[in-house]
Amino acid sequence: MNMKKYTPVFCLIGAAVIFQIITSVLNREFYLTQLTMSAYYCLVILGLTVLMGYAGQISLGHAAFFAMGGYTTAVLTTWNLAAAQEGTLARLVVQLGLSTASTNAYGVEIRHISPWVSLLVALAITVAVAFLIGIPILKLKGHYLAMATLGFGIIVYRIVLGSRIFGEADGISDLPPFRLFGPLYVSGDPALRVQNFYIAAFLVVLAVVLLQNLIDSRMGRALRSIHGSEEAANAMGVNTARYKLHVFVLSAVFACIAGVFLTHFNGGVGPSEADVMKSVTYVAIVAVGGMANLWGALAMGMALNYLSLRGYFGSYDEFVFGGILIVIMLFFPDGLLKKENMRSLTEAAIRMKNKIWKRKNELS
Amino acid sequence: MSFKKFCIALMCVSLIPGAFSCKKQAGETIKIGAIFSVTGPASFLGAPEAKTAEMMVEEINDKGGIDGKMLKLIVKDSAGDPAKAISFAKQLIEEDKVFAIIGPSTSGETMKIKAICEEGKTILVSCAAAEVIVNPVAKYVFKSPQKDSDAVQSIYNVMKKKGIKSIGIVSSNDGYGTAGKDQLEKLAKKNGIQILISEVYDKKATDLTGVLTKLKAKNVQAVINWSIVPAQSIIAKNMKQLNMDVPLFQSHGFGNIKYVKEAGEAAEGIIFPCGRLLIAEDLPENHPQKAVLMKYKKNYESEYGEDASTFGGHAYDSLMILVEGIKRGGADKEKARGAIENMKGFAGTGGIFNFSPADHNGLDINAFEMLTVKGGKFVKYEDK
Repeated sequence: MNMKKYTPVFCLIGAAVIFQIITSVLNREFYLTQLTMSAYYCLVILGLTVLMGYAGQISLGHAAFFAMGGYTTAVLTTWNLAAAQEGTLARLVVQLGLSTASTNAYGVEIRHISPWVSLLVALAITVAVAFLIGIPILKLKGHYLAMATLGFGIIVYRIVLGSRIFGEADGISDLPPFRLFGPLYVSGDPALRVQNFYIAAFLVVLAVVLLQNLIDSRMGRALRSIHGSEEAANAMGVNTARYKLHVFVLSAVFACIAGVFLTHFNGGVGPSEADVMKSVTYVAIVAVGGMANLWGALAMGMALNYLSLRGYFGSYDEFVFGGILIVIMLFFPDGLLKKENMRSLTEAAIRMKNKIWKRKNELS
Repeated sequence: MSFKKFCIALMCVSLIPGAFSCKKQAGETIKIGAIFSVTGPASFLGAPEAKTAEMMVEEINDKGGIDGKMLKLIVKDSAGDPAKAISFAKQLIEEDKVFAIIGPSTSGETMKIKAICEEGKTILVSCAAAEVIVNPVAKYVFKSPQKDSDAVQSIYNVMKKKGIKSIGIVSSNDGYGTAGKDQLEKLAKKNGIQILISEVYDKKATDLTGVLTKLKAKNVQAVINWSIVPAQSIIAKNMKQLNMDVPLFQSHGFGNIKYVKEAGEAAEGIIFPCGRLLIAEDLPENHPQKAVLMKYKKNYESEYGEDASTFGGHAYDSLMILVEGIKRGGADKEKARGAIENMKGFAGTGGIFNFSPADHNGLDINAFEMLTVKGGKFVKYEDK
């Protein structure tokens, strides 16, 4: 195994651990709350980076996949089995051992479907939907693909907003914690903040390792060839349709997992998670992160989501993300954090330094 | 890509966060957090609420604060996003260690942070209407807007006096319309009223003749519309066009004079329940709410140059209930909470609040007054 390849991954793990220790020592653990939330949003962004940056396919509907994960688990785990015990379906769920018990905020014990089950159901639904819409949608290119995914996003948003089962404009609240195993819970309880931070960090690291390997594999090379020229890739024998579909489904799965975990962490979900503006935000972060740059997307995803969730942008939140997208599209259509840009920046810095040196020498 | 271009763009991006970062103040203060959806789909609620809260805090501080302690309001704009409301609530409670939180503007956001405030032992006085906020009762959670069920009951009371037995309902397909429709259907039987037809329309509808034709065919004795959208004016106009000569009732969402202006002639005679803010001038001098309403209305309108709305009134009530609690119980969370829970006869813009350990809303049906439109103005509805 090539250990050198994983050096940045180890740096990431180290950074997470150091950050956690610093916040704990300084008694500032509350910073971890927003970092955990940002990390989940980063899962969506990482998946989208591979789809947009490497395969070159835009999606303005990824918030919909996130919402699918969040809403599926919200609906299933808030279904009170004790109250519906007469129903055959409820009894079957209990008998199959798919249920679990937990106490809610008011100290009442409730029995509900295990979040592990709802995670699997959410994944199944997302994969099925991504496949079904991916097949026709990915035949489109450029603006038409953007519009089709945008349409899909709007449809999901309207369904969520209009269905009673999804709580309409109010969304769903009071989700039970997600017990992973043993003492590990995904929940917003302040006492479990550190372990939740590590759960989120673990998922991000896992995602980065998986995607890094994918990019360096045969499939990754195929995706990049599609980005370069789809016709050429096709002519060289790359099954472009299949690769595009697979990476689309993969990125949808990432969004879905993020949705499930963040919804349990927050204890609720609302229709704004499916909003088109959320999708635009994801695309803006991928763009500012450098399009085909996992590390850039991760860094920008963490930073921008963190600032946004802490309210630094105030009422200008949408304006900020919209502004970023415009600036990037005008000046850096290939993304901001790229090697070439970095190189020109360092070169310019060196030039500047030399100039100052020269002037100093002339003066003295 | 030239280096110059790169630098300009980088500067633009890096300046954005700096420009909007919040300032920090020092001093002996009571910190109050406020989560409002100032922007986003619920901005019609959040914007007047934030303005009202800022105006009131400034006024209180100008008068020397509460027992010499200044108030510091930390307003967070959630844009109607529950994830942000959750993040802000945690931030306000753990980091800023606020004394209490007012808001959020919407019921969905309030329900998301209800448990967080309860666990964080921080008082929350919500500006959202849903009854689930205070039922089941959470020790630290209160709300200031009136109940939908009381609005419905007020309408049915008028109907009973007018001898109306069979009605038709139309409502918008958003959260507000659905909540009202539920209450209308729930309370109809108890009041001996039969709902012949209940239709839902899209909140962006621009013509409702199709829905109304169905109601007309059923020969309804009255129409109730439940929405907060411009459809409130459209329905009045469409009824005139269809020559439907039955009374039109609306929800308290009609309490904005712009809907009357839009409907013109057709708005005459619309009956709806509402808080007393809209008829503050016409209240008798000895009414307990008169002074509060007149002062709020005058101050808000002179400060911001726009009509005061009942939504801003909710923020006024939430903040002033909290302030009254601090005055009575002192700057101690537990004592202030107890003082709010036992507060009786507090005159706000929404009505006279009488809290109890079982009732964290404190308003009853008397909070509503039935209003009607006469000569393009809101006036008190009188039984004939």
